[in-house]
Parts: sequence; structure tokens; C-alpha cells
Amino acid sequence: MDLVSGLFEAITASSTYVNAALFAGLLIFAASGEWIAERSGTINISVEAMLLAGAFTSAAGYTATDSFPVGIICGVLGGMVVAGVQAEMSHRLTADQFVVGLTLNILILGLAGFLARVVDLTTKTAPRWTIPGLSRIPLFGDALFGHPWPFFLLFLVVPLAWWLVFRTRWGLEVRASGEDPQAGDVSGIDVNKRRRQAIYFAGFTAGLGGAFLIFVQVGRFDEGVVSGRGFIAIAAVIFGGWTLRGTIAGCFVFALALALRLQLPNYYEGVPTELLQAFPFLVTIFGMALFAHRVRAPAALARPFVRGLK
Amino acid sequence: MSDAVSQGVKRQQRQVEWVGLYAASVAVALVASALLIQTTGGSSLAVFDALIEGSLTGTGRWGLTLGAAAPMLLVALGTIISARAGLVNIGQEGQLAIGAAFAVYISFRIDGPGPFNLVVLMVFGAIGGALWAGAAGALRFWRGVPEVLSTLLLVTVATQLTAYALGREWLLLAPDSVGARNNVSEQLAEDNRLPNLSVLGNQIPFAAFLAVVLALGLAFALARTTWGFRLRMLGKSPKAAQRAGISQTRFGMRAMLLSGAFAGLAGAVMFAGGGFQFSNFKFVPGFSGNIGWTGLLVALVAREKAIPAILVAFVFASLRTGSSFVGSTGVEARVTDVVEGLLVLALLIPPAVMFLRDRRRARLATTERT
Amino acid sequence: MNADHSELTGVGADAASTPAVELRGVTKRFGAVTACDSVDLVLQRGKIHGILGENGAGKSTLMKILIGLVLPDEGSIHVDGQAHQIHDPLAASKLGIGMVHQHFSLVDALTVWENVALGEAGRLDPQAVQHRIGEIGEHYGLTIDPMARVGDLTAGLRQRVEIIKCLRRDPSIVIFDEPTSVLTPEESMTLFASFRDVVAAEGRAVVLVSHKLDEVIAATDEVTIMRQGKVVDEMITADADAPTLARAMVGRDVSLRGERAAFGLVNAAAADPADVGTSDDSTPGDPSSPAVLSIREASARSPQGITLLDGLSLDVHAGEILGIAGVEGNGQRPLGDLLSSLVTLSSGEVRVSGEIVSTKTPGAMASAGIGVIPEDRHDSGVVLDMTVAENLVLIDPARAANRGVLDRTRLVESAEQLIAEFDIQCAGPDAPMWSLSGGNQQRVVLARELSYEPKVLVGAQPTRGLDVGAIEYMTSRLRDAASDGVAVLLISSELEEVLDLADRVAVMFRGRIVGEMARDAVDVEQLSLLMGGAAV
Repeated sequence: MDLVSGLFEAITASSTYVNAALFAGLLIFAASGEWIAERSGTINISVEAMLLAGAFTSAAGYTATDSFPVGIICGVLGGMVVAGVQAEMSHRLTADQFVVGLTLNILILGLAGFLARVVDLTTKTAPRWTIPGLSRIPLFGDALFGHPWPFFLLFLVVPLAWWLVFRTRWGLEVRASGEDPQAGDVSGIDVNKRRRQAIYFAGFTAGLGGAFLIFVQVGRFDEGVVSGRGFIAIAAVIFGGWTLRGTIAGCFVFALALALRLQLPNYYEGVPTELLQAFPFLVTIFGMALFAHRVRAPAALARPFVRGLK
Repeated sequence: MSDAVSQGVKRQQRQVEWVGLYAASVAVALVASALLIQTTGGSSLAVFDALIEGSLTGTGRWGLTLGAAAPMLLVALGTIISARAGLVNIGQEGQLAIGAAFAVYISFRIDGPGPFNLVVLMVFGAIGGALWAGAAGALRFWRGVPEVLSTLLLVTVATQLTAYALGREWLLLAPDSVGARNNVSEQLAEDNRLPNLSVLGNQIPFAAFLAVVLALGLAFALARTTWGFRLRMLGKSPKAAQRAGISQTRFGMRAMLLSGAFAGLAGAVMFAGGGFQFSNFKFVPGFSGNIGWTGLLVALVAREKAIPAILVAFVFASLRTGSSFVGSTGVEARVTDVVEGLLVLALLIPPAVMFLRDRRRARLATTERT
Repeated sequence: MNADHSELTGVGADAASTPAVELRGVTKRFGAVTACDSVDLVLQRGKIHGILGENGAGKSTLMKILIGLVLPDEGSIHVDGQAHQIHDPLAASKLGIGMVHQHFSLVDALTVWENVALGEAGRLDPQAVQHRIGEIGEHYGLTIDPMARVGDLTAGLRQRVEIIKCLRRDPSIVIFDEPTSVLTPEESMTLFASFRDVVAAEGRAVVLVSHKLDEVIAATDEVTIMRQGKVVDEMITADADAPTLARAMVGRDVSLRGERAAFGLVNAAAADPADVGTSDDSTPGDPSSPAVLSIREASARSPQGITLLDGLSLDVHAGEILGIAGVEGNGQRPLGDLLSSLVTLSSGEVRVSGEIVSTKTPGAMASAGIGVIPEDRHDSGVVLDMTVAENLVLIDPARAANRGVLDRTRLVESAEQLIAEFDIQCAGPDAPMWSLSGGNQQRVVLARELSYEPKVLVGAQPTRGLDVGAIEYMTSRLRDAASDGVAVLLISSELEEVLDLADRVAVMFRGRIVGEMARDAVDVEQLSLLMGGAAV
């Protein structure tokens, strides 16, 4: 079989879409919080660390209690602890946001690697729910409507993110903080507080994403369980032009690339594994190269705000 | 006169504050690390002892530490260049890997006298790193992709690409290891290796001298040349720079290339210097071994200054060389990654606190514009 | 309608005797500087109260205390006879104090209604906000589309949004902070008329903060004059005249003719063109000589596709000052940026001494001999994190270098010379730029640009934010430059300044020059029509 028909087979296999949905789920959890953080003015590269921390703590929580809800809550807490460090250090102490994020990524990777060797974690995926009827839609049915139950938290998180940003006063203030912190400040908004809160929200959704990895997608913890997908989530936000709809579209595009990487070898073995591994990242870079210069970023993105300092 | 005295007192007071803050932050990081070790059943004192022995006091260990510090310092110097130009290049791990792969590739295809070969392979390393960073630069300046993200994503791509090359005989794979469990390259011929200097039972690698000389050179260039002046200006105020004829694209692109070149050079040096745990003059999977990340952290902790980076690189290299002794204490050696991370995090706090305090003082000292 | 009206006038009418606001002994120190020194101030309902003072006199700090952006060190604030602590803007707005800001309080990317809602508390109710904007618009004649994006609005409309944002909270005390710098004279008159409505009909107290005598005399009932943080005089405006107010403001006798620009006296400036800008030793440019700076049909767009310049043409001759008048936001900033190599033209050309200067090449303008005092000096004028000496060679560090290596001695020596010559107050050549006051930063810019012996000098809002002394210094330097044969282009939204300095006046509107006249042929009325976009 040649590459083109191999690709065709892979693209028309419903298992590809099940996988893509799983990857998309992870990316969307991470990206919906990241989206809010970026709308508030932070490129939150520690989303990678938040995912990993969430994955570890949810696995630990489940190991201790055998309860999926407890595991999920632990995951959220793990994500939010990392968010706390990021938020307080970059938007209270005004340390550089990238430096903090990068350090957190390295620290959490080390910590998770260390703890995973020290602690015995026993986890599994949560029971599967299938939505009757809908899950029988050809090609996409299983992908969207038949998964371990924490998958369906997505259908709460995404509308929540949208509602927060566009329908609440908090969201209005978050957007103002990301666009023009000086004006926000003069209008009586605590800009850095909104930015910290936005990062906490990113920690919340990334924590859920970590739990998703354990209880939906993978089933067990390992330090390579995230391996750069947090960065892809950030790319999805840029790809999507800082709109929620575009972000989610980006998540699906990149998730499809991740799933194809897994599926293609089943149909066509001619592509070297290393190139397959790099493929989703190349797609991500390519996607950004196509769209990044056409969209408008929040005007104060990645610019710290200190009152009285431009 | 009294003004000068009070100024002197103020400066002294500031220095005390700085030292105090740094000491407190490091102490907090160390205590947190100790707690982690104790709660997971290890002995923190034994671990710290092992770290010191492994990095300094053990036979021949500080020479090894210097060897580990050299590539870290080189990476840090590259980071300093891009940071001064206002660019967030954080993909040195990948640039280093590509640079090393370039150096490896050329080293088995040239056949000159040793020193010549060495120069060629180091130049190739630098070119490889520069290309990889340049890709991110091109994405930034012509396609508007934030370099903070593209450099990160390119790390993964670099890792995979080098792994791919290592699996191909026409690229890097050694003919005799075809079909072996691990893909490795040939070993660099002895003539083509970077020399060591023997001092007090320690082997001081040539790379360490090279790195220190480059650090001093960079410090001078940044502070005292028009190039450094323009680079700083670009980083601090792109618009003022543009008015003064400094093109953000051209100058920024050059800074990015140079930054990657340093990382690539670090990769070449790891290969040809064969320093601490650097795979014995062969290219192997996972060759970069986090030196790129650590070098990046070195630059950040040294607050993007070349001379302090020398010291910081040595400290971080000590953690690296020390960690190989940690295993004997029964504690998982990866704990040093945690110590490193906590240390960096803690070291970010003093400058931030001082910045806020200076700001507040400056604001108090001048009336606001009416 | 009736109900709406009572809602809008929800201010107690019976409170005539108690002052709306009373400040007693309010003091605020910033380090060694006392910005407000035991200030007493009484604001009555139904009155427009002017607060007059130079830049740096403490007006703004006082107002920031009143709206909760700055906390006072001492003193008390009484609102309707009751003492209050105002910790933040929200607390101020609960007490019925609202401020119409001069700059920086609108977010371009948000819509009008979102901006109006920004900074309030409670649940967000778009319909209610939009409805209210309509109501207020109707009531005060400030109609605006609540769904419009603020970034797309003209300066005048943005001001309207600022006012609505303030009135939306139905404040009983309204503070206007230097409201006219972005308005045409025409628009200012309308604005002052609406002050009247707000005050008289509804019993609100209005504060007008200004450094312009004209404005205060025309619009206020009472005036408080501040100098160096203290209240130096209070008077009924009707009893005061310009010289009295000016003397109180500066603390010495002043020649209103010589310094009228600093006091914002358009009429005085327009009244006697005889000695304008052309003191005896100056040689006004000879219009028949070839222009030093010549811009032809220059058009440019922002990356977002907004038109910045639209076929702009102008000439500046050696030894003359061409003043660009116009309401802010009509392309003055892009014009300054164009001459700083920050804007690339889509069509048209720029020539210096007849040679075309590329608008694509960074630094081309500077090397062609165009010096610029930029509108926002922190943007492209100075680098705050570099030293004074470095800032003094910013445009061309090679001047203080041998083969690329900086010569410290030369750098410091030339810096010391300029510091002395331009009387720059700083701790020395190595002082960080951010440690200097705004006026001294501006002197660094001026010193550097002049030290390059430019053929053309562009002053973009060169006196903004400076106090009277610094303004005088700046204007005399610009005059000197012209009399030394430099072609000076003065871009200013302060009409007084243009009238005071320029030999010729051109009016800018929507990115182009819509009219031009010699200084002695200026008719203020016609000028203001042109500024408002009327075809003349």
C-alpha cells in the first residue's frame, strides 16, 4: 500500500477519530483555560507543567481512594498549585512570565519523574459511557459520544469558558486586562488580580486535562504522558486567533495530526517512526505559520503590568 | 561630602539586602528539597554530602564539573544574546542537538589534521544550531509566530530528526552498530578530540577555557561595543532602535542565529570534548541530555549577564556531576532535577522583589505628571 | 421619559447649603516632594469650579485623591458633610464622584457599551447598559452607537464615550481632567455648554481641571489656583482677569504676550500676529527657496488596514517653523512616525533637500538629517533602561566609538557637555534615564537631536506634560533652531502653541493637510472650521 492510500485508509477509519477525539479532549481542556489566560495577557507556557502535575495528582488521588471523582478533584488541585506559583510569581512579584513558566515545566517534569519512581501508582480508565443513539453516527459517533465518563466534562468546561469571558463582568475585565491594562487600571480594575485569576482558571482546566489523561486517555501515569501537548494547546490558541471557536478548531486539527501519527502505521509502514513522531509538531508549526500573522493578538499579550510603568 | 557618605551607606545597605534575599531564597529551596527527600524516606544530609563529593571533593570530580559546565555556559551565552535583543529563545535543547548532529556528520567526512578537523566540526555545530534557531527567527519575523512557542515546538522536532538521522547509515549511524539495540554513531578519532589539561589530578577540558573566554568576550562586546549597544537598544526599545536604523528583522534575526550558533557549538563541544557523561565521543539517542535546558536556566538565573553566568554554570554543573553520586545513598538520582528546579524558582524571587521595591521608591521620589 | 429624567437627576436639591465636597488639609507626599500641601477645597452644587495650575502644581494628584486612585497622607474628605475615606475608584463612584479622564481610560478593542460598563460592580447586563447609553445620549446630546468599537471612533467621539462612562453612574460630582486637548475649539464650546446643563438643571458639582486660562475664564463660576502643591488663591471667576490668574498660577509677573502659549490663550495669541515667532534676530524661511523637507501625496495604512495618512503633502523651508494644527487623532502621530522611520508609505514620497528618503529603511530619516522630538518620548525618544550618556548618542553610537568599540571617555565628555549646555538635571552621565523627571528626559531628547545638527527638526507635541518653565525653554529652543536655519516642523494639538511659534500654519484632518495659511493671515474661526473638517 502506498502513502496516499494509506493516508486515505487512516483518515476514513473510525478508530482514527476515536483517537483524535481523545487527543482533542486533552488539548481542549488545556487550551480553553490557556485561552482565557491569554485573553488576560499571559502566554502561559507552564500549561505543560499544569497538565503533568494534574495527571500525577489525579493518579495519586485515585491510588489513595479508588475514587474517580476524588482523583479528578486532586488533578484540579495539582493544576491549580502550579497555576498558583505561575500567577503569584509573574503577576504579583513581576518575575518574567516565560522564565517562571519554563522553570515550572522543568521543575514539575523532574518532580513527577522523581515521585513516579518513589510512589506506586495504580490507576485505570473510568467506566465508559455511550450516549444512546448519537454514538451510532457513522465515523464520528464513537469518537464524540462513547468514552470514559470524565470525557463529557468537556461539554461543561467549554461553555463555561465562553460564558465567563463573554457574559460576565469578570470576563469583560479579563479582556480589558489583556488589551489595555492601563485603561483597565484607570477604570478601577485590579489588572494583575484578573490576570492571576485567569491563570488559576487555566490551572483548573489543565488540571482536568491531567485527570483526563489518566482516567480517559491513557489509564496510567508516566512522566512522558504529556510530552509537549501543552505547547500544542498554546499553539491552538494562536492558530485560532484568540477566539474560542478558532482555538477549538485548532485543537481538532492538531489532534487529528496526533491521531494520524498513531494510526498511519497500521495502514502504511513506509514513514519512519521518528518523522511520524515529529509530524504533529510540524503540523502545529505550519498551522501557526499560516495563520499567526493574519490574526490580532490581545494588545497587551505577554506584557507585564506595573502601575506607573508603561 | 555627607552626600557621598550617605550614598555609600545606601549602596552598602542595598548589597546587604541583595545578599540577604539571595541567601534566604536559596535556603528555602534547599529546605524544601530536604523535606522532599526526608518524606520520601531518604536522608537529605547524605544526599547533600554525595552532591558535594560528586561535584567537588571526589578525586578528579571538579575537572568533570568544569567539563559539564562548559556546554552549559555556551548555551547560556547564546541565550543572553537573544534575550538582550528582546527575543525569547527557549529552544536551546533542540538547537544543541541539531548542532551536535551537524558536528558529528562532518567529523566523519573530513580528513585533515586534528586541529583543522576540530575547527571544522565546531563551525558545523554552530551552523546547525544557527539554522535551527534561524527557523524560529524566520517564523517570528516573516510569519508572526511567537518565537517563545516555535522554539519550544522545534525542540521535539529536533529530537525526532536527530533520532531519525541516527538510524540512517548515510547520516549518522555507525556501520558496525546497524541492527544493534541502540543506534550510535562512530566514535570520534582521538586526533580530532578536544584536549584536556591535567591539573592536580583533574582533567580540565579545553572547552571550559573556550567557554570562559567567550563569556568574557561577550561581556565586553555587550558593554563596550556599538554592536552590544545596538543589541541592548533593540531589546529595550524596538521603536527607538528602528528610528536609529536598527532593523528589527535583520538585527533580531542575526541575534537569533548567533544565539542558536552558541547552542550548536555547545553540542559540538560535548561531542568533541567528551566531557562528563557526554557519551564518550559518540552521538547517541538523547545526546543533548538536558544541557540545553540547564544552560537556558543558567542564563536566566545569571539575569542575562555573561560573567555571573560562569559561576552559575559551575553551580548547575555541580548538581549534574554530583547527582551520579546520589544513587549510592539510596535516593533516586532524579531528585537533583527537583533541587535544580526549586533553586531556579527561588533565585527568581530576589530580583523581582528588588525590582518592585526600586519601582516603589522611584515612584515615591518623583511626583506624578499632572 | 419623566421617570428617566428623575433618575438622571437623582441628586438632592435640598443640599444647597452643605458643600458637595469639602477637602480639609489634604496632604500627599511622594518621597521628598509634597504634591499636595494641606489643600482646602470646597465644591458647591450647581457651580462649575475651575482648578487652575501649571503642570506639576498638584491638580492631578488632588483629583486622584478624590477619585480614590491615590490615598492622602493627611487630611479629611467630606462628601455631603460626612467624612469619608476613599480607598479606590469604586468607593468614589459609590459616593457619587466621577471623573472624565483625559487619556488612557478606554480600551480600543472593546465596544462602547463594554467600555462604559468597565469598572462597575455587580452583574453584567448588556441590555441595561446599552439602553442607558441611549438615554444619556438623548438627554445630553451625546448620541453614540453603543455597539461601535471604540478603536474606530474619532477623538471627539471617544471623549463622548468618556463622558458617558462617567455620567452613566449618575455622579453628583463630575471632574473633567483637561478635557479640551482632543477637541476642536468648536467642540469645546459645545462641551462647556453641556457642562452648564449638567450643573444648572441637575444641581451637580462640576470640576474643570485645566492649565488654560481661556478655558477657565470661559467656563467656570469659581476658580482655585494651585502652585507647587498649595492652594495659592481662590476667586470668583467673574471678578478675575487673565493677568491676575496668570500671576497667581506662576507666582510672578508674566508677560502674557510672550508666554501665552503656556497659558493656553488662543485669542491673545491670535490677536497680535505682529511679533509672532519672528523675533528680530530670526530669519523666517523664504518660501520661494527650495523646501528642505518636502512630503508629497504621502499615504499609509496600519497593519489593521486603518488609514493613517491620506495623500498628505507639505513643504518646510530652511529657517521657518511650519505649525501643524489639528485635533488629535487626525494623523499627527503617523506623520511624526513617518519622519522617525516608523511608518512605511504605500504611496507618495519624502524628500530632504531634494533627495528622496526611503520610508522602508529603518533609520533612513535620521541619517537624512531629520531630528525628531517624538510625541511619546518613552516610545521612540529615549530608552529608560539605558544611561543618560547612552541616550545622548542613541541615534548613532558610532560617533562615540572607534572601530565599533565605544570610547567611554568620549561618551562621558560629550554627555557632560550636553548636560551642561541644556541644563539637564540628573545625577550625572551614568544616571539611568528613568531616574530623570519628564522635563529633563525631554531635554535629553532635545539635546541629542540638536547635537546631530539636523536639517529638519520635528517637534511632535513637544511641550506636552511640561511645566511653564520647561515649555518656555522648549519653545525658545525651537525658535533658535529655526533662526539657525533649521527647517522646523511643529506638530501640536495645542492651537495656542502653533499660533505662537509658527511662521505658517497648516491644518491636518483625517490624515491630510486641508488648509494652510501664513501666520499673519490666520483667522481663528476659519482655522477651527478647518480643524473640524469643514471645507473652506
